[in-house]
Amino acid sequence: MEYILHLFILICFYTLLSQSLNLSAGFTGLISLAHAGFYGVGAYTTAILATQFGFSFWLNLPIAMSISGVIALIVSLIALRTVDDYFIICTLGIQVILFSIMNNWMDLTRGPLGIPSIPSISFFGLVIDSKITFLLLSLFMVMFVWFVLSNISKSGFGKTLQAISEDEIYSQSIGKNVYKSKIISFVISAILAAIPGALYAHYISYIDPTSFTVNESIFILSIVIIGGLRSLKGSFFASAFLVLLPEALRFVGMPDSIAANMRQIIYGLILVLVMMTGKNGVKDFFAVIWKKVN
Amino acid sequence: MYSFQILLNIFFSSSIFLLIATSFSIIYFSTRFFHIVHAAIITAGAYFAFLFAFKMALPLPLAIVLAVVTTSILGMLSEVLVYRQMRKRNFPTLAYLITSLGLYIVLQNIISLYFGDDTKVLNTTEVTVGHQIFGAYITTVQMVTVFVSIALFIATKLFLHFAKVGKSIRAVASNLKLCDIYGINSNRIILIAFGIGSALAAIAGILSAMDTNMTPTFGFNLLLYGVVVMIIGGIGSTRGLIAGSLVVAAAQHLSAYYIDTKWMDAITYVILISFLIWKPLGFSGKQLKKIEV
Repeated sequence: MEYILHLFILICFYTLLSQSLNLSAGFTGLISLAHAGFYGVGAYTTAILATQFGFSFWLNLPIAMSISGVIALIVSLIALRTVDDYFIICTLGIQVILFSIMNNWMDLTRGPLGIPSIPSISFFGLVIDSKITFLLLSLFMVMFVWFVLSNISKSGFGKTLQAISEDEIYSQSIGKNVYKSKIISFVISAILAAIPGALYAHYISYIDPTSFTVNESIFILSIVIIGGLRSLKGSFFASAFLVLLPEALRFVGMPDSIAANMRQIIYGLILVLVMMTGKNGVKDFFAVIWKKVN
Repeated sequence: MYSFQILLNIFFSSSIFLLIATSFSIIYFSTRFFHIVHAAIITAGAYFAFLFAFKMALPLPLAIVLAVVTTSILGMLSEVLVYRQMRKRNFPTLAYLITSLGLYIVLQNIISLYFGDDTKVLNTTEVTVGHQIFGAYITTVQMVTVFVSIALFIATKLFLHFAKVGKSIRAVASNLKLCDIYGINSNRIILIAFGIGSALAAIAGILSAMDTNMTPTFGFNLLLYGVVVMIIGGIGSTRGLIAGSLVVAAAQHLSAYYIDTKWMDAITYVILISFLIWKPLGFSGKQLKKIEV
């Protein structure tokens, strides 16, 4: 039972990560490979504040979000001067630099040793240390972020972002500030990515840089693409599917050592198939197959 | 005496970066998208050599030739089975990049599954001090690497400029539609580019694995260095590639000497990002960044 709750909590984390990336990658068309970096910034800020200064989660969360936002602002001012493929390569570089800082700045992050014994979250004197209460907190965060993102996407600003992803030059010609809108969406995306980071640090109580690698960034991007660009619901279902997939593999009797690789092979294959058919997410992909079968 | 050793190390590293950048740019040149699968191709080359030389106990030269051929076929398969299917439907280059990320994950994990994640050594000879040149040391493998890389770089350049197929590759690179009109089979030419690029990548992977050792992910970093070199140098520029590989190698070794080896990667990407912003066309100034119309 405890383990099932753990899986649900992981689904919440990946829903938060993929939905926040969906804002910049899906709505604005800024495919970023630095998302695990911002996730890591959130986790490390929280962990350092909690262990060194004894701050509570409710103070750490806004600080982590602001630091992630400031870094994203600096990064986007630079990276958004490039387009398409070069933007991806640029964000890949930023991901490597952020990882390198987490892995090598021994004085601040303790490098590969990681930061142990991060305290649990307390809420008005009530310590959230059981899985079920933590799941409730994560669910609350998911609903909050989902609400914020769906409102942004429905707002005029969200429509501007969609227009930019469809045709940048046309949006500029009707008087939209493309550069500024891109920066805002990238920064909001990074700020929201710090939320699962802060939750993760308090939940696992030990963090090290291996959770925030390039492969993690590729994984988050795959969730967004498999779930469908611009589909928040899709991101949620894809997160659930990809978190539960290794468990399903274990269920059919595959040993753990193979299951980890098999999970990556399967999501890689799904990503390739979805991209090759040029469809938006698995849903459309199956719709096409269904049409062919009938 | 350190300074000469650093110089020699820079020279060695830059030769391997040059080979990787050449292998990658011949594919980028003809297709204009970032073929990230190339990272898995570099790794696959080294692991195929390991498979043939140690698991099947073939003699090393034969194993290397077989590994290069198999890897080249693997590269061509990725083009035929995936990219060619996509090209029929006119996708933006971004779609190719994301597809190749997925394919890279698949191939890298297949290698991990079959060979395991642990570090493998692809060197049968005993570890020796190496040859001494003016007080600096260089191993036999490193010397071979330098010669092979430079020879292959020159051979590729000559091939692109003088052979008929090489000229066709340049034609496809400059205008794909016009090539079709003039009866150059662009699919065939792109396939050849993938074959040559993957073969060169396999050689680079084998040499690099022989110098140090290998893990299923070691190709990714090597490829990214190659991409950095290519972007810094500018596409299709001989002098640019040489200058780019020297700059990247120098930055890495100098930062390793003056700061710490652990910041080598970060420094490389700082250079890349600065180039993408202030000099997106690279040293050569040839077109690299898409011009917004």
